[in-house]
Amino acid sequence: MPGKAPPKSDKDAKGVSKGKKGGKDADEEMTVVVPPSKKQAQAADGDGDVEMGGEEDKVEEVDPAVQAVTDIKSNFALLDRAVALFDPRFSLRALRSISLIRKRLTPDIIAQAIADSFPATAASAKSAKVLLAAIDRADTPLGKSSGSEMEIDGDAKPATKNGSKKEVKDLIPEVDIFLGILIQVYLFDSKQYAKGARFSEQLTDRIQSLNRRTLDSLSAKVYFYFQLFCEHMAPLPPSPESPIVAVRPILLAALRTAVLRKDIDTQASVIVLLLRNYLLTSHINQADLLVSHTQFPENAVNNQVARFLYYLGRIRAIQLRYTEAHEHLTAATRKAPGSNCALGFSQTATKVLLVVELLMGDIPDRSTFRQATMEEALHPYFLLVQAVRVGDIENFETTLADHADTFRRDGTYSLILRLRQNVIKTGIRMMSLSYSRISLRDICIRLHLGSEESAEYIVAKAIRDGVIEATLDREKGFMKSKEVGDVYATREPGEAFHDRIRACLALHDESVKAMRFPMNQHRLELKNAQEAREREREMAKEIQEGDLDEDDLGGDFEGM
Amino acid sequence: MAERNLSQIVAQLKKSPSMSYSDANTLLSKAKIALLNLKALTPNAAVPQSTLALARETYEQGALFAIRARNPEAFTRYVQQLQPFYELPSSRLPPNLSERNKVTGLSLLLLLTQGRYAEFHSELESLANREGGGGDVEGDKYLGYPIRLERWLMEGSYDRVWKAMKSSEVPCDEYSVFSEILKNQIRSEIASSSERAYPSLPISSTKSLLFLDSEGDVISFAQHRGWIVRDGSIFFPDATEGEDGTHTKEMSQMVIENALGYARELETIV
Repeated sequence: MPGKAPPKSDKDAKGVSKGKKGGKDADEEMTVVVPPSKKQAQAADGDGDVEMGGEEDKVEEVDPAVQAVTDIKSNFALLDRAVALFDPRFSLRALRSISLIRKRLTPDIIAQAIADSFPATAASAKSAKVLLAAIDRADTPLGKSSGSEMEIDGDAKPATKNGSKKEVKDLIPEVDIFLGILIQVYLFDSKQYAKGARFSEQLTDRIQSLNRRTLDSLSAKVYFYFQLFCEHMAPLPPSPESPIVAVRPILLAALRTAVLRKDIDTQASVIVLLLRNYLLTSHINQADLLVSHTQFPENAVNNQVARFLYYLGRIRAIQLRYTEAHEHLTAATRKAPGSNCALGFSQTATKVLLVVELLMGDIPDRSTFRQATMEEALHPYFLLVQAVRVGDIENFETTLADHADTFRRDGTYSLILRLRQNVIKTGIRMMSLSYSRISLRDICIRLHLGSEESAEYIVAKAIRDGVIEATLDREKGFMKSKEVGDVYATREPGEAFHDRIRACLALHDESVKAMRFPMNQHRLELKNAQEAREREREMAKEIQEGDLDEDDLGGDFEGM
Repeated sequence: MAERNLSQIVAQLKKSPSMSYSDANTLLSKAKIALLNLKALTPNAAVPQSTLALARETYEQGALFAIRARNPEAFTRYVQQLQPFYELPSSRLPPNLSERNKVTGLSLLLLLTQGRYAEFHSELESLANREGGGGDVEGDKYLGYPIRLERWLMEGSYDRVWKAMKSSEVPCDEYSVFSEILKNQIRSEIASSSERAYPSLPISSTKSLLFLDSEGDVISFAQHRGWIVRDGSIFFPDATEGEDGTHTKEMSQMVIENALGYARELETIV
């Protein structure tokens, strides 16, 4: 979690305020880490460095506010294309650009964008009024640009032209919702959570009534912010009075509708939100039931899949189903975006993964802790792993006590408490490897166990669980280790090999499935084939007419 | 009217915890009918606070009586009916933590004795997040007990479990109901680990190992588990014999299957 590392940048600080799970914020965190584009750099300069800002302004001669409005409006073209071509990729691209615009959003800019894009007809005026009311700019006139600056007019034209190409009379709802999302983002950044939740509710109602497939990816986003607002409202999550409990019926209804409409984006996003919601109030059973009664859409967006797997992993870990948890969490960390934009998510998922690995009796790879981005956040876990690896129960207890708050915040505390037995088991294993015979008293002293009796029971249990190969002698009170057999004579290497091959094959299959082909390409090929056939026919005709000589004839006919 | 009636019944139930289960049951049914008349079987918005508290107490008493009568199904039912009451905000219904912890602790113990560890831990997780801080969960008289027992059971410190059940460590009478079940449970745990851990055991020390009272008990227990008693010692039958033949055959078959699978996959790729 970014919160643990001393906040180095603005981004880290934001991670903290956003609560426990950085992963949720993957999309937004992109805002800051994405290498600043030219526009953003310019905007930033305008804010901070006055001298630099002046220089830039001279070069580009664009006011940052105007630029922002233009940027917002340039997305409308994308949304238009998405509707016209029925290709969700364009809406996704528009959504991605939110992170670039985000920092510059002010009520005035949004109001300006709304005023410019909504025609003054009665129908659209109503929805525009709702949007404007949410940012306290209800009195902005619609239909035309305010005209105070020449640039606005200039910039507004291409946008309106784009709009009028498709629908002359009215604005497409996608643009309406897109502006709604911008308002949500603005309200969230300015911490007006209660207002944001109210506005989101209106927005979701509107989406439900529209029922357009091209809205899917947008509506997923709307629900996402809805939940985020609720999480930040007055009684904060672990308390049962938190507003997130009240949101559940709305989300469940949305999920039902999304499933019926085969709206994959909303489906995936709402399932993930619900899981998060349940886990925040520790309703593990409900979360488990939700997972068993719903089917997570197979071809959901990668980020949602990663989040889903993470939550699933956590649920399974709590239920002691470590193997499954390990599988899900590994997949989640691998599916997490590789760049720094979703660092919080990777860190959080890695933390749980480490604990689960320890619980399974494995020692995590040292290299996990060496990654520059992870090192600081994972430090307490590193100490923990050290304690478990050596089997030093005292060290383990002190680490646990020292970092209890961190572990609690990460939601791994109760999992880590279960590690105690693993520490003991590892300790016994170390001892069984190093000594061929050791007295129970020594085991008891070294592992700081309560009594010799306890030690005897614990060792016996370890033998039964297959942790060590040894026998006990009760009369003389010692443990005698058996000779360790040759691992290569067992089926173990074969199994490991088989697992790896299977993983590779699955990877191959998945990559084949993930390939994307340009639409209508096959038609082009068909056309080519058609032309070729035509040419051949012509040639055949010519042959019939006797223009060609015999040698060519044979070859051509074979080709046919 | 109904409310006064109800509070009388609850008071009666509280006063005499040793009442027989059938008597208590009739009283509880009456209480439930009264609750039904008050429309307070489940907490909805219209129910006044005093009635809510009474309803909660009724269920809590019901749960305790069910445990005393060793009726886990009825107990689970009461605990589930209590859940919505426990979820209520404290402004709506001031919590009565000691009773609540008692019932929750008992349900944890029940899950533990039934071996439902997944549910045990799910429940534990929600306890840790309850009321903001989870620090006092282990320190609590009622909740700490099952948590400690679970930890010791997992570790294998059976002697500590034994001590915890025996002495005056049990937080209240209802908890000792589970002791008998737990005793049998740990005894069979110890027995199965002994089978693997010791080549042989002298009968005299097996007695203390299994917490049995006499050597006669040891012998009957050994016979029950199918152990061989000879020359004052117990020998454990070797369970791993005679498996090797099928084992190797299985293995070669597996290798062939895998290889064929790879070949098929390669074919699809190339």
